[in-house]
Amino acid sequence: MTAQTHDGAHLAAPRDIDGLRSRALIAGVVGLVGCGLGFVFDRDHFFRSWLIAYLLVLGIALGSMALLMIQHLSGGAWGVFRRVFEASSRTLPLLALMFLPIVLGMGTLYSWTHAEHVAADAILQHKAPYLNVPFFLIRALIYFAGWIGIAWTMSRWSRRQDEGDMSVNKRLQYLAGGGLVFYALASTFAGIDWIMSINPHWFSTLFGFIMVAGHGLSALSFTIVVSTFLSRRAPMENILKPSHFHDLGKLSLAFVMLWAYFNFSQYMLVYAANLAEEIPYFITRISHGWQYVALFLVVFQFIVPFLLLLSRDLKRMPHRLIWVSFALLAVRYIDLFLLVSPEFASTGANLHMVTGAHESHFYVHWLDLAAPLAVGGLWLWMFFTQLAQRPLVAFADPYLREAMESTGGH
Amino acid sequence: MAPPEQPHQGRVTPPVIAPGHTFRSVTDKIGGIVLTKRTPIGWFVGFGIGFIFLLVLNVTIGNLLVTGIGIWGNNVPVGWAFDIINFVWWIGIGHAGTLISAILLLFRQQWRTSINRFAEAMTLFAVACAAMFPLLHTGRPWLAAYWLFPYPNTMGLWPQFRSPLIWDVFAVSTYGTVSLLFWFTGLVPDLATLRDRAQSKGVRRIFGVLSLGWRGSARHWHRYEMAYLLLAGISTPLVLSVHSVVSFDFAVSNLPGWHATVFPPYFVAGAIYSGFAMVMTLAIPLRKFYHLEDFITMRHIHNMTKVMLVTGMIVAYGYANEAFFAWYSANPYEAFMMSNRMTGPYALFYWTLIAINAVMIQLFWFRKVRDNIVLLFVLSLLVNVGMWLERFVIIVTSLHRDFLPSSWDMYAPTRWDFAMFTGTIGLFLSLFFLFIRFLPALAMFEMRTIVPEAKMEHEHRG
Amino acid sequence: MSHAELPAALHGLMAEFETPTALVRAAEQARLAGYREMDAYSPIPIEELNEALGLRRTRLPKLVFLGGVIGGTAGYALQYWSQAMAYPMNIGGRPYHSWPHFIPVTFETTVLGAALACFVGMWALNKLPQPYHPVFNVPEFARASLDRFFLCIESTDPKFDREETARFLAGLHPVGVSEVAP
Repeated sequence: MTAQTHDGAHLAAPRDIDGLRSRALIAGVVGLVGCGLGFVFDRDHFFRSWLIAYLLVLGIALGSMALLMIQHLSGGAWGVFRRVFEASSRTLPLLALMFLPIVLGMGTLYSWTHAEHVAADAILQHKAPYLNVPFFLIRALIYFAGWIGIAWTMSRWSRRQDEGDMSVNKRLQYLAGGGLVFYALASTFAGIDWIMSINPHWFSTLFGFIMVAGHGLSALSFTIVVSTFLSRRAPMENILKPSHFHDLGKLSLAFVMLWAYFNFSQYMLVYAANLAEEIPYFITRISHGWQYVALFLVVFQFIVPFLLLLSRDLKRMPHRLIWVSFALLAVRYIDLFLLVSPEFASTGANLHMVTGAHESHFYVHWLDLAAPLAVGGLWLWMFFTQLAQRPLVAFADPYLREAMESTGGH
Repeated sequence: MAPPEQPHQGRVTPPVIAPGHTFRSVTDKIGGIVLTKRTPIGWFVGFGIGFIFLLVLNVTIGNLLVTGIGIWGNNVPVGWAFDIINFVWWIGIGHAGTLISAILLLFRQQWRTSINRFAEAMTLFAVACAAMFPLLHTGRPWLAAYWLFPYPNTMGLWPQFRSPLIWDVFAVSTYGTVSLLFWFTGLVPDLATLRDRAQSKGVRRIFGVLSLGWRGSARHWHRYEMAYLLLAGISTPLVLSVHSVVSFDFAVSNLPGWHATVFPPYFVAGAIYSGFAMVMTLAIPLRKFYHLEDFITMRHIHNMTKVMLVTGMIVAYGYANEAFFAWYSANPYEAFMMSNRMTGPYALFYWTLIAINAVMIQLFWFRKVRDNIVLLFVLSLLVNVGMWLERFVIIVTSLHRDFLPSSWDMYAPTRWDFAMFTGTIGLFLSLFFLFIRFLPALAMFEMRTIVPEAKMEHEHRG
Repeated sequence: MSHAELPAALHGLMAEFETPTALVRAAEQARLAGYREMDAYSPIPIEELNEALGLRRTRLPKLVFLGGVIGGTAGYALQYWSQAMAYPMNIGGRPYHSWPHFIPVTFETTVLGAALACFVGMWALNKLPQPYHPVFNVPEFARASLDRFFLCIESTDPKFDREETARFLAGLHPVGVSEVAP
């Protein structure tokens, strides 16, 4: 229990993080150059690819913030991961910046931004009070202001807690309670705005839950990967125990199942009702090559990780668990790819803007590799910078003793 | 390992068990309720009330079987009404038991320990009440096995597995079975304790048979703990699936107000919400009359309130979501359904449920409310009312104005509808009172694991 | 006990302890002393005993997995066979093998198979219900389901010796040592 009596200096991040940080920056810059070329020569594809990559890292940051707030409310044995969650959530200002290309690409990504399409479509006219450019931007501003505000305040109070000010504990709980409400609402509407409205006729009331499950799964997988890296080095090698990974592994299993549950429910209900206003979304995704991507997700975002994570031993062995989590992160990207890409023709144009062409065939563009490299690299650079700024254990956390004592009976 | 009592927020988190208890005191207190020869008068009063309503149920069922389901108020277009409202209401209430037993065990939430046993019993009784309705609404329940289960018959007919009503049969019967296995498994070590402590030979023999010869062997405990954990793991997705399947009854249709993809998680949250309300409704008088405040502490009350807050917020999110998408879908039928709910003939019910499930639960944010037992009892009763109204609104307002205005009608329940509903409440109460008299209402062996005596001394930790 | 005049026939020797810690220590020492055929009895599950007694991991999880696989396969097969082969019906123009509709029941039968395997498997592996067991012959054993902890070294152990083992158990500072009639 040395952690409780020290000022945290010995809990500084290991030096290896600097190496990772510069490598991430290099990767990000290389990707960014690629994206720059794409922007100049292949603009339509660039926006689509950027959006997909962006949604992945945004999901990690938001999911981490949500898990952090749950941790403040419920305590529990995963308090040892608090600093990883905090560092992820402090990347949100960078993510707000990285949203700008999407603002630039609105005309390409969203058909409802074009007055002539709206004029020709009664449904779009009905939705115009919600789906219009100024309101879209105002909403994005509200989401980011809220998210960043919550993350920043939590981070500030967390520092005060490190300094011994226990009066923030209560306020952190109140903020977490309200913050979760905001997070859930903002994530739902951001999902509607940024993904669902690519196909402006389609709607699904379950979409918010699918967003949240995706955020949770991305954030947990990312946290397992980073924590495994940290657990091999001082100071975390003596603090992170198999039981802690066991807990994260169990949560990953839960989120894998939730993801499958939400997606199956949505698919089955739309399939069963077979309504003209809903079914096209899925018909696009189970034909013209996309069905293999869908099948791949069923196998690799559900069946395989589900069976692997059932094993108690695997969850307690970080060096094996990390591979499952790595794979899950990759599959999360493919999941988002399937959410977005089938709505675009292989020219990169939004299907709903092209008259005549109403089919999307499976395709992958080189920008689908460059964009995640750029977005992911820059984001990781920011993440490691943030991680190195604070002691790796929130040693003043009121739940920490419980968390460190946990041996994980199950 | 009792969680450390943290002085954060300047207020101490109440413990999960009052200090000063030992193996013996815990066992005596809980076992004594069962083994005593003197039954409290209050028990007879409570059981008597339940039993009267149980008789009402018997009369209703008798009339139903003789006359037919025409004694209910169901009509065209409202072909489903009290039968399915009450079915969904009861099955939802059942969810808290499994949730407390299974999910909280997996997450190592120690506060589940004193409330799990009677919450599980509540689940079983609620499922029994729920099962009445689909069974009886067939009108000829003696044929139900052949209609509902895949029973090989000479006509070569099979149930229609694309219908969610058949999924319901499988979900509810699986749920009932697994809950029973889970509950019984948890009871065995306690039954052995009662066997060893019973004074009369007959009682000892009964508990002896029921406890299967349990002797507390380490080898047995080893497998037992594993089995208990595995059953918890199995029950967790099961409990989510049951109310999801119930929601499919509505959501696979293409009726506005029923066909919404959000239904599965929204129904599950509502089920947990109403289930915890019912646990609270039962726990508050139980701890009062049997003086169990040491075991069902303020910690339990606080945590149950918090679970109700979280799940209630998800339900409120569901309402908001439905309203938004009724507009966003640009579908005129959806929009009409929503405006009919809000301003139509049943608008009062809609706004009452909103007032309870979306507005009133905001009170649970405040510690002052969470500390007020009497108020919590009233609020938990109101939540049960609110969740009943939710099902009424979903079912009746969606049906009574269907696509064809010529078939529009109103629905009003008959006195037999009410008799049937209150009758199942009587069944529930009767079973529950029998349970607290004849079986340990709190898990004695699990309570023993959280007293200080159970803590292992480790040399290296000191 | 007062059965000293009855020779040989003995289930084992049983020592009684007051705390879980004492029981675990005693089990550890008995194992160190070379005893293998023994069992501990307690009113609460004690995780540390598994190691002290050298209990192997149980096969139960594999059994449960198997039960789930059998239940799920049977559930899906039943639906496929009855809906697509034995009694095909056109329901709203959907294919006979409309798999999304078959998932909920398959899930439920999987769960049912796993839970039944778990329940039956656990009691079967524990060889319960068992109407008679020698340990109940010891009067003090009634407290094994309340607040006392017992270690029983059984006579089938090759190292078991009536006097020697009794002395050994007495050396573990128990509340008392009893002979267990068979």
